[in-house]
Amino acid sequence: MRRQRRGVQLLALVFCFGLLAAACGSDKKATGNAASGSSSSSSAAVPKGGTLTIGAEQEPDCADWVGTCGGSSWGFWMMQVQTMPRAFDVLKDSSGTYSYKPSIVLKGEPTLETSPKQKVTYQISDQAVWNDSKPITSTDFKYTWDQVANGTAIYDRTGYKDIESVDDSNPKVAVVTYKNTYADWKSLFGGQFGILPSHILQGQDRDAMMKDGYTFSGGPWVIQQWAKQDSITLVPNPNYWGTKPSLDKVIFKFQADTSAEFQAFKAKEVSVVYPQPQLDAVDQIQAGIPDTQKIVSTETGNFESLWINNSKAPFDDVKVRQAVAFAIDRKALVERLFGGLGVHDPLQFINAGINKAYEQTDAFAKYVKDLKQVDTLLTGDGYAKGSDGIYAKGGTKLSFTVRSTAGNKRRELTEQVLQQQLKDAGIDMQIDNAKAGDLFGSILPQGDFQAGIYAQVLTALTPGNCTLFCSSNIPKSPDFSGNNWTRTSNPELDTLLATVDSNLHESARTTAAKKAQTILSDNMNTLPIDPLPNVLLWSNKVVGPVGDNAILGPFFNINEWGISA
Amino acid sequence: MLTYCLRRLLYSIPVLLVASFLLFGFVRSTFDPTSRLRASRDPSVVQAERDRLGLNDPLVVQYGSWLKDAVSGDLGVSSRTNEDVSSMLWRAMGKTLQLIVIGAFVSAFIAVGVGVFSAVRQQSVPDYLITGLSYVGVAMPPFWFGLIAIQVFGVQLGWFKFVGLHSGDSTAYDVDYLKHLVLPVATLCVQIVASWSRYERASMLDALGADYVRTARAKGVPRYKVIFKHALRNALIPLVTVMALDIGALFGGLIITEQIFSIGGMGRLFLDALLQGDVYVLEAWMIVVAALIILFNLFADVIYGILDPRIRLS
Repeated sequence: MRRQRRGVQLLALVFCFGLLAAACGSDKKATGNAASGSSSSSSAAVPKGGTLTIGAEQEPDCADWVGTCGGSSWGFWMMQVQTMPRAFDVLKDSSGTYSYKPSIVLKGEPTLETSPKQKVTYQISDQAVWNDSKPITSTDFKYTWDQVANGTAIYDRTGYKDIESVDDSNPKVAVVTYKNTYADWKSLFGGQFGILPSHILQGQDRDAMMKDGYTFSGGPWVIQQWAKQDSITLVPNPNYWGTKPSLDKVIFKFQADTSAEFQAFKAKEVSVVYPQPQLDAVDQIQAGIPDTQKIVSTETGNFESLWINNSKAPFDDVKVRQAVAFAIDRKALVERLFGGLGVHDPLQFINAGINKAYEQTDAFAKYVKDLKQVDTLLTGDGYAKGSDGIYAKGGTKLSFTVRSTAGNKRRELTEQVLQQQLKDAGIDMQIDNAKAGDLFGSILPQGDFQAGIYAQVLTALTPGNCTLFCSSNIPKSPDFSGNNWTRTSNPELDTLLATVDSNLHESARTTAAKKAQTILSDNMNTLPIDPLPNVLLWSNKVVGPVGDNAILGPFFNINEWGISA
Repeated sequence: MLTYCLRRLLYSIPVLLVASFLLFGFVRSTFDPTSRLRASRDPSVVQAERDRLGLNDPLVVQYGSWLKDAVSGDLGVSSRTNEDVSSMLWRAMGKTLQLIVIGAFVSAFIAVGVGVFSAVRQQSVPDYLITGLSYVGVAMPPFWFGLIAIQVFGVQLGWFKFVGLHSGDSTAYDVDYLKHLVLPVATLCVQIVASWSRYERASMLDALGADYVRTARAKGVPRYKVIFKHALRNALIPLVTVMALDIGALFGGLIITEQIFSIGGMGRLFLDALLQGDVYVLEAWMIVVAALIILFNLFADVIYGILDPRIRLS
């Protein structure tokens, strides 16, 4: 009995000592000047070695990029971009425009033949190898196509299902023949999926081999470990034929949410964060975080809008839609949301900022707050202002309900600002938010809304808006598949957007896209609000060309980053 | 006793069945596991996924299919990650266990000490102070305490860490691990210590007023022996029961603590699965947590009988 008691005492003593040691052994707090400019890179020489820890807001569901579980943005940024070879990179040129550039997997620009059928010939670089030294071949292209086009539980077959065949008779030349013309062919054999290694996966269960992380790589990094619910560790690919990583290791540490991520960044538990631009994040960035740098990018793959259900009253009336647009001061709204980040102007076209080259970038600029226009439009449409200051027609008040994601403070603030602005203009707006799963899972697809506030996120550099506005994509019962949740139906728009998706001539695509944008604006099918900026923050210890890529993500060139002592 | 235990376990089976069916129904009618696929440009993917997951079958058929596999030990595959649910549970349980074991040990150690001290010094200034602090502890929401602790001890003072249980990709049980443990364990302990110390104080007061303690004192037994050997031993019996019940409930009750400290335990597993409508994970989670609560309740009954032989289970 005595021995037992001593044991307990000893254990308690050890534990208390442990606590003391933990408390006393803390890192010294770094001091220094605040430096939070908007520089896009640090020009200091990049040292070799070291471990970089990055805060990750989300853990991906799986690493089978082709499968239905593989659609996570964070998974794409952390692992896919680092390990999967791709035919094209999406890079920004000196004029600030994003475009496709052949990656180092290819010898150069592929050959495109447009008749009799669309045919693309890829010349694969002799240096392009997997991390096991096996060459990247045309059979890998063929295998990738086969998996996406014919596999089960595939996330998105778009484009691949238009391919008729892939000729792999020459291992270093992949000839892809299309049965249907596909204008966005450069997003294939790259994009979300990359090129899969046929010599490893052929005849195997692809999903089983990839979903929890994989050991193959055709990129600068190899996944060393995916400790579920904790972290992902990357180490350099010794056989990478491009710029080899300077760092010894990159660790992505999963954070519970944006607030936790900020706390961890301030406490220097992580050196880089890529937070969502939530209100508290904007406030904290505006207040300044010592020893850090940041980039705020408005040319992103994201954009937020007031999405309008064109099939539901009162928005089945174009004059009401236009009146709402003239009732809203979008500039004041954007200033309130993102002014602290230096973002002041609303988005003036319905598409992501990175597609501006294709778009009529001032299409919605005419919609500025103009209460006189509101009155003209509504009185001309039979409305009259009631004693409560709200317009009404036939005894029915001009009122609508907006739906968004519950708990998203930024969107809740957006709603409050809109509610006040619309009330001032004589339009009543109610708010009824829902859980994200319900909103995107059933409410929007089933059209159970009048207006919604949410973001669209582009995963490929494609200008096509057909997914969102072609009448063929209006969800229908019973499964309500299709992404035209605004129920926009306009034959002229359908034709133009189909041209953007299928025409192989860039000038024709651009002309059609611009014209489509004007139609969307004239009919006020939806009102763009903001470009939803990307924000990247990093410690001064991180050196190298740190920057954000709207499609490939903020870590696209992490092989060129380093960490100073 | 064996019959008693078996009967208790058998009683719990219909409860588990009803609870699992209700959970299945609620989750299926509330959350759509295919909602994450709405961003795909391929409209056919949602229907294909619904077919794959059997979402077009009637609810009873879906539940029956799950139950059939579950009773044969197959808890299914997560619709979100395609991973075996059992391995997800084991992984999460490992992390939660670390918190619970250490948290319970620390809490018991402090609560017993504080309770005994408070009882022995009944109605003294320290007793009033401890009583006041206990009420504060019971009333304080764990998330509030956790966030304040992170801000003060993690961010401002930099003494402790608060992201996960290890720094970077380390898995070592070293000083760094202890630094990560302090704040979540403290958050877990605040309410538990406050409540357990009140139990311990009350039972210690009962014990100190009992005849056998008076007899021991009359016989001239030293004060510390009277307190620790005679009174404390008996005063621990009710606390052990409460501890067993509380520890069982903790397996599913650390959602906030794990979320705040980014620890991938049972609480976060539940939250992630719920928000994604991952019904197989939720069902398995519920079964495991319910089984643990039942077991710990049973353990409390059994241990009570063992600690106090006057009590017989029937």
